[in-house]
Amino acid sequence: MRVIFGDVNVGTKGVTKDGQEFHYIFSYAAGGPVSLTTCGREWLYRAPRPAFWRALTDNDRGCGFHLASGVWMAADMFIRTISISEELDGERIPQEEFLSPGNNRFGGEIEAETFRITYEYQTITNPAANVSVCYTVSSDGGILVDAKYFGAPGLPELPLFGMRFVMPTAADGFTYEGLSGETYPDRKLGASEGIFEVKGMPITPYLVPQECGMHVDTKWVEVTRSSTSGNEIAGGKAASDAVTQGNDRTPFTLRIEQEGGPFAFSCLPYTPQEIESATHWEELPPVRRTVLTVCGALRGVGGINSWGADVQPEYHVSGEESLAFSFRIRPAAV
Amino acid sequence: MKADIRWLDDASVFRVGEMAAHSDHAFYADAAEADAGASSLRASLDGEWDFKWSVNSASRPADFYKEDADLTGFTKITVPGHMEIAGFDRIHYINTMYPWEGKYYRRPADVLPEHPEGVGTFADADYNPVGSYRLTFDLPEQMAGKRIAALFEGVEQAMFVWINGEFVGYAEDSFTPSEFDLTPYIRNEKNILAVEVHKRSTAAFLEDQDFFRFSGIFRSVFLIARPKLHVEDLDIRPVVLEELSTGVLNATALLTSIWDSVKDVSGIDAADGPTAVIGEPDRIRGTVLFSVYDPDGQPIFEQSVPASRKTQLSGLVLRGVKLWDHGQPQLYKLRVTLTDRMDRLTEVAESTFGFRRLVLREDNTVTLNGRRLKILGVNRHEWNAKSGRCITMDDMRTDIAIMKENNINSVRTCHYPDRMEWYALCDENGISMMAETNMETHGSWMQMGQIHASWNVPGCSFVWEKAVLDRANTMYEWFKNHPAILFWSLGNESYAGTAIAAMHRFFKEKNDGRLVHYEGVVMNREYEDEISEVESRMYATPQECAEYMEKVNKKPFMVCEYMHCMGNSLGGFYEYTDLFAKYPTYLGGYIWDYADQAIEVTDPVTGQKVMRYGGDFDDRPSDYEFSGNGIVFADRTPKPAMQEVRYLYGREAQENGGRA
Repeated sequence: MRVIFGDVNVGTKGVTKDGQEFHYIFSYAAGGPVSLTTCGREWLYRAPRPAFWRALTDNDRGCGFHLASGVWMAADMFIRTISISEELDGERIPQEEFLSPGNNRFGGEIEAETFRITYEYQTITNPAANVSVCYTVSSDGGILVDAKYFGAPGLPELPLFGMRFVMPTAADGFTYEGLSGETYPDRKLGASEGIFEVKGMPITPYLVPQECGMHVDTKWVEVTRSSTSGNEIAGGKAASDAVTQGNDRTPFTLRIEQEGGPFAFSCLPYTPQEIESATHWEELPPVRRTVLTVCGALRGVGGINSWGADVQPEYHVSGEESLAFSFRIRPAAV
Repeated sequence: MKADIRWLDDASVFRVGEMAAHSDHAFYADAAEADAGASSLRASLDGEWDFKWSVNSASRPADFYKEDADLTGFTKITVPGHMEIAGFDRIHYINTMYPWEGKYYRRPADVLPEHPEGVGTFADADYNPVGSYRLTFDLPEQMAGKRIAALFEGVEQAMFVWINGEFVGYAEDSFTPSEFDLTPYIRNEKNILAVEVHKRSTAAFLEDQDFFRFSGIFRSVFLIARPKLHVEDLDIRPVVLEELSTGVLNATALLTSIWDSVKDVSGIDAADGPTAVIGEPDRIRGTVLFSVYDPDGQPIFEQSVPASRKTQLSGLVLRGVKLWDHGQPQLYKLRVTLTDRMDRLTEVAESTFGFRRLVLREDNTVTLNGRRLKILGVNRHEWNAKSGRCITMDDMRTDIAIMKENNINSVRTCHYPDRMEWYALCDENGISMMAETNMETHGSWMQMGQIHASWNVPGCSFVWEKAVLDRANTMYEWFKNHPAILFWSLGNESYAGTAIAAMHRFFKEKNDGRLVHYEGVVMNREYEDEISEVESRMYATPQECAEYMEKVNKKPFMVCEYMHCMGNSLGGFYEYTDLFAKYPTYLGGYIWDYADQAIEVTDPVTGQKVMRYGGDFDDRPSDYEFSGNGIVFADRTPKPAMQEVRYLYGREAQENGGRA
């Protein structure tokens, strides 16, 4: 694997065991990776961010969860990057050496077995909470993601803590190993275990758009797309004429694997904020992108009533306690 | 008898000229018809009717019932259906608030001293729409010469009926059948049936259910022919002895002849029930043949007795009786063949029935056929996303199939009697029922979550008591022969007072082996020794349920509504099903509720078929999406939570020998 140090980005590039090319770009300006490509197919629309919000459920609205915890919706949208650190084959590189002009010392691409970049964030909550997200890229193209949330006294309960990946085009579907159907920490007993293939990114048509489509206790998920936004793939048409997502419809897949324990995820065509702002599903825009949220902690949905009863205590996520979870991103075969 | 628009405002007038309620047995001209299940004594009047919608009583075509009425301005409407769904009036959803909140100040008559009579409340309102329905029909040939009645299975909310220009009656109670005798005025051809439906009347105070507020003839209409000797009512009393293998059958066939009238003129005394027959009993002559068939359809007993007003089948003992139970719908059949004194066949009537033994024991446990009763239930509103509460047989069959597939063993008919066929479907599919009276007065005692019962109805009002007893009576008489019904429910969320206590006594005096249920008494415990044989709660937390069973344990415990499945919900369901293992007095409960109530429309922006809910029709005030609490969506697609229901109810059913 080669590491390409730049002034605004650092790239990692190599070939997987299966002979697939991978190339990742981690940005200093954007506060996260801006490109994850395998065989030239892009997986990122914008830099992934720590996720703190899922759209409210009717039960959340009923018990005033949003009035206590609504700040997490803004925290989910806006976050401050406070520092970035890097390690090359386990050796820490001081910031003045990986940023310009210190990076001149590399003189070109560097061979490495592992490259690690850690983004430290601070939430816009009051008090603020620190969050760190560490990406460790191995020479086989795998990325270990370690996400940590440092709770602080006085912070309200969280709907979830996870990582959100917005992909440039809509997924054809996803396959996962875990529990059948839409499940939550407090609603999963009736599910069966297995490998499930889901076509498209179905939303659950609850009357008012709300949190939906979650799958808890997941071992892995593979998201498959066959469209891209790259105009050159449209087959040599002038950019103004090109229908991007056009000609090459070969499916390509990104795989998320558990590390240290199962995760919860949803793969939806909308962000929680988009869902939150609609009163009917048809008000939401045409499906363009994929919003994959991988969660390490998740609040239940509750059910006692919809006008005051909270989710039972064991299914809350405290904002005052620290949380950590990990998963692996593996480029998969085209 | 003359129709009086003031009846809309008079709580003491809720039925005029209606025939007495009776059992829902089928009756046929002969055995071949009975075997085929196709009666020539019943003809549908559903279809296109002439129709005029008016915004209020003052602007209605008041003379439209006259034979020579000018029908200028009339259009067509399909019966059955709601006027709102047909596009004449605005669709409106509202939960506990009365629908006129902020538009009219209204208080029920006969409750507050400053508002004693309620004159004009509905009759003079500038918004109280009226549907004037007219149908011209010929009498089917085979009905000629017989007693003819019009049977309306559901009309919301008050109606006046005329035949050939003559007034025959007035009815409230939207969700039970109303039947009117047309015999004196019927002719063979070109009969004119005129029905004036008013959206609201004093009945509106009793029908404050959490649902879309519709009006119109929303269930089927039939023409009914009664042969000269007719089984007016069948009261079947199957009893199972404690050893569970012997059944004892008693039955009473109430017979009427062409010399009788079963009309009542000024409101029924509920305790009298179907015996309110005016006529001469000695005119009942002929022979009654009782035939009993086992669940395999084999005849097992016959007895011929002389006809009398109340012809009895007494004390038939059946050894090795097959019991009706959840998932085990063993149904017997009683056939009653009537012949006149010239030995001519006049009618074949029949009804299915079942043997089952429901016991409330000293220790507050309840058994069904000797096993613990476990209610793995769901509340069900009648709903179709395209036609509202006007539903089809297919809708009902789909619902039954979904319930069975997901181990749901019981249904509460929230909060009104359902279409008649639903009771038979539950019998036939081994799904037990909590049959609920058409009553909810939520807005009369609870406002913004607080109890303010200053003008609660029916409360302790003797006037309103008569109205609600009539509702109880009508439901009881029509559905009493259905083994699926384990509980009579007095209504929903109507607080508690002497009127509801009288309803409780009414059902208990029937002594029919069922239990009486009412949740609202927990809001006013002064009446808890007089009302409800079960401690029924809504939305109690698992901890509150446990606390009652541990510390109070005065009655068997159930949650008649729990697990509010609004949107993405049903988390923590297992905490309720786990109560079965810990508490023998836990009866289980009914999930709220079965299907989202939403209306499918075409989105004007995208052209897509989409679901709309309260407030989407500029209907105000509204409770918006609060009617979307189903475990299935409005189109019957199961919500993701269904797998949890199937698993947890299935587990409890398994532990009860698969028959819970």
